Amino acid sequence: MTRSRRPSAQTTAVVLALAEKPTAWRYGYELCQQLGLKPGSLYPILVRLADRGLLETTWDTDVPAGRPPRHLYRLTGSGRALATELAAATAATATRRSGPKGSPNERWQGA
Amino acid sequence: MRWTRRRVQTVTTWVIVVVWVMFYAVALANADPLPPLETAVRQLVVPPLLWVVAARLVLRHWWSGPGSRMSAMDLPGRLLTVAVAALPERRREWGRAMLAELAEVQGRSARWWFALSSVGAMLWLPPAGGWPVLALAAGVVVVSVAVAGPAVGAAVPGLRVFAVSFTGLVGAMVVLAVARLRRPRPRLPVPAPTVLVTSGVAASIAVTVIFLRREPAAAQYLPPAAAVYLAAVLAGCLWVAVAAPRWLGTSRLASHLGAAAAVVFAAWFWLANRTDGTEPPLPLVLLLALVLVSAPVAVFFVPAFAAGRAGQSFRSGLQAAVWTVTAMIPLTYAIWLPEGLRRHAIDGRLLIDGEVVAPVGANLADALAFCLGIFPVLGLTLAVIGAGLGARTTHRAVPNDPS
Repeated sequence: MTRSRRPSAQTTAVVLALAEKPTAWRYGYELCQQLGLKPGSLYPILVRLADRGLLETTWDTDVPAGRPPRHLYRLTGSGRALATELAAATAATATRRSGPKGSPNERWQGA
Repeated sequence: MRWTRRRVQTVTTWVIVVVWVMFYAVALANADPLPPLETAVRQLVVPPLLWVVAARLVLRHWWSGPGSRMSAMDLPGRLLTVAVAALPERRREWGRAMLAELAEVQGRSARWWFALSSVGAMLWLPPAGGWPVLALAAGVVVVSVAVAGPAVGAAVPGLRVFAVSFTGLVGAMVVLAVARLRRPRPRLPVPAPTVLVTSGVAASIAVTVIFLRREPAAAQYLPPAAAVYLAAVLAGCLWVAVAAPRWLGTSRLASHLGAAAAVVFAAWFWLANRTDGTEPPLPLVLLLALVLVSAPVAVFFVPAFAAGRAGQSFRSGLQAAVWTVTAMIPLTYAIWLPEGLRRHAIDGRLLIDGEVVAPVGANLADALAFCLGIFPVLGLTLAVIGAGLGARTTHRAVPNDPS
């Protein structure tokens, strides 16, 4: 579904963090530490991104004995497109704040 | 303190014994007249003995699965494990993901922080139908509860609290179903037992309405606490029948055995009341004596034993036990009230204690105590023991079975 509402700052931060290394699989706790987010904030965001086909998940079975397999995350093609869009919008917002104001009516896919 | 299986069993045993002794002491202090010594000793010893055996069987089964895993965890791990178990299946992957990450978190405070925050996240995971659908369902439930109280109260004043409680509880189940399921609808895991229990609950409500319409003074035997209890038990039966947890619906044999046993128990109960005071021929008396004495024990013990043996697991027997009790409660309650009215019209006596001349409304209190209290507690205890023995017999018969 196409939504016109801009993703929250936290969602944007998660998407951009995942887009830093788009092909790499990332752990949830690692993202929490990197972004300073609580798991209670991060996981609902990851669930929504996955529900909308922006995030793919897999299980890391290569873990020390006695430890459970860990969940891994990375952006899908749509997710990477969203990340590009968000990065551009973030840059544009920064430019607008330092220059004359404008109000482009951007549409955000999915997030 | 590390909770080993032996320690948990010991604590459970002592809790059961101490609670029962205290309860029985209070009951004796208020009893008039006191029961004979032999009866008192039997009542003091037999119930807790059965409960201890049943509780130990349940603990043993639990400890062979999640119990042993949880005993090795710290408190944050246990908290998160319990929360994950409560998640709907389609979201459980995310719960397992959080559990796996918790295993990587070091330090007591960091682990508590991670676990508590994750539990909070589970409460607010987006519902399948979306928040608007959930809000709509919750709104409908609130309106239904607000309407049910005055509407039922006007027609049957004694049922106002029951109507509000029952509507609220069933509504809460609907909201929960909307939040958990992708397409909110009853799963009807086993149609025949589901229909039986649902019909039993409907009949229970209907006979309560009829009883209170015919005997409005009987409302004094349904105080608010009892009305809430009745609503909670009937709503619980409905929940097991329509939206049973996964582990209850996995064995069709167990659920059918349980439902059939409940029908037999209800028939026994009806027969026991109908034969009281009549003079049937001697062969029938002997047959009835055999059936009436053995049926109550057999209908709880046998299906659970058979299901445990056939399913080669304690869980299968437990499923039969839960289904037996779930179907038995509304069926016996739905029989009790009309039979109580009939019996009282004949000689002014109560159904359960034919020697006492009492107001007909007292049948309502008796029905609540026996059908929703004593029968299920004792029946479930016998059934759990049957399930445990059935599963054990299986293991002896198949010594190489790795399970």
